[in-house]
Amino acid sequence: MILTPKIVARIAAIGLIGVLLQLSFFSQVELFHVSPDILPALVVCLALLGGSLTGAVAGFSVGLFLDCLLVEALGVSSLVLLSIGYMAGLFRERFEIHNSLVPALLCMGLTLAAELGFATIQFLLGIDAPVSLLIVRDMLLKSVYAFFLGWPIYLLVRRLLRPALVEEPKLRRRRQPRVLGA
Amino acid sequence: MYRKQVRRRRAVLALLIVGSFALLTITYGQGSNGLQRGVSTIFSPVQGVADRALKPARDLVDWFDETFDAKGENSRLKSDLVKVRAQAVAGQEAMQENAQLRKLVELDQGPVLAVSAYKPVTGRVIARSPTLWRSSVTIDVGSGDGVNVDDPVISGDGVVGRIAAAEPGSSQVMLLTDHASAISAKVLPAGVQGVVKPEVGDPEHLILDFIDSTKLVHGGQTVVTAGWRAQGLASLFPPGLPLGEVTKASIVDQEAKEQADIRPFADIRNLDLVQVLTGGSRP
Repeated sequence: MILTPKIVARIAAIGLIGVLLQLSFFSQVELFHVSPDILPALVVCLALLGGSLTGAVAGFSVGLFLDCLLVEALGVSSLVLLSIGYMAGLFRERFEIHNSLVPALLCMGLTLAAELGFATIQFLLGIDAPVSLLIVRDMLLKSVYAFFLGWPIYLLVRRLLRPALVEEPKLRRRRQPRVLGA
Repeated sequence: MYRKQVRRRRAVLALLIVGSFALLTITYGQGSNGLQRGVSTIFSPVQGVADRALKPARDLVDWFDETFDAKGENSRLKSDLVKVRAQAVAGQEAMQENAQLRKLVELDQGPVLAVSAYKPVTGRVIARSPTLWRSSVTIDVGSGDGVNVDDPVISGDGVVGRIAAAEPGSSQVMLLTDHASAISAKVLPAGVQGVVKPEVGDPEHLILDFIDSTKLVHGGQTVVTAGWRAQGLASLFPPGLPLGEVTKASIVDQEAKEQADIRPFADIRNLDLVQVLTGGSRP
């Protein structure tokens, strides 16, 4: 990804709108008693398009903005989201994405990782109440929702950042060589 | 060149991780800071607009969810209705008796009347935390409307939580399902006292802890805020606010763990309008 001030502004706007959408819409709707969390998927998509550094910085910034709006201790969401952003970016740098299922699967896996990360940090900070096993259902369903939401988010983010993307080599169907006259 | 890039990438990553830990260390347990106040002040009107604009879409998704639940809910409500009818009859009798007793002993400060010392401010939920580990909502009223930290927050059904942070145009409500929440409560009519705590991850289940194991509570009994006051200290909640209903109170749990299970009256998952009880006397 070629980062110009305009593209950085676009990434910032995507993060900002993503956080506002999460708090005002996705956190307030429930399917099977679980709300979707699009922020890990959004950070994964940015990282898949921009690489590990973009992913880490985007994750940190999105997390910081989220913690500011929720008036929570700063740093928890930043730490979790920057980690998954970096991991998704590393994946992008090391492997080619040939299959359209890969972004969705990565969104699912890394959303689960983010949920586990939140849980770990919360346990380290201390929990003053017993924990229900329903939290496991919550984590699993959130990652399933991320699978279904990951692909449209990826397409949308890619469309918004298209001017900055390095042209991907088009996959052309190679014609079989034919003998003249055959 | 490539090595330089890798080194730079790792340096930025290390910087961000150290920054996150530093922020966490500085801000953990400190309440709101200048940055958060600034961001809240700027974005709470935007959140308000986004909340209203997205309400039809939210209602549509909720409609699908509620349709799935409707079947199970219907049979539960039917059995609840039978119980509530019996309770309503008993309640009317109790109210008559109560009025007569009040006249007799000239009580002018009943538990429910204490709520009238508060000035309710109505607010709308404009944002919600995406994780169950931190159970909080943002409402569109703040210190500019007279809201202060620790003010009780109620819905039409009962207690919802308390104000955790108040900014000029918005406030953060710590819901009673947050792991840090604890409310002193009593069971009616027995008067058994305890502390209502959540079970993290299950918004429809609370635990009434530290109850007196010598006095038994039973399923179906109502739990209200205790609202105690002693030697300059007082509960943040006025007495008599409905909290929930005892769902399971086995003798083993009560005697061994001093606990009973309760279901909150307030629909914590689908909060829209809430009231903040501002003012009131607090030590």
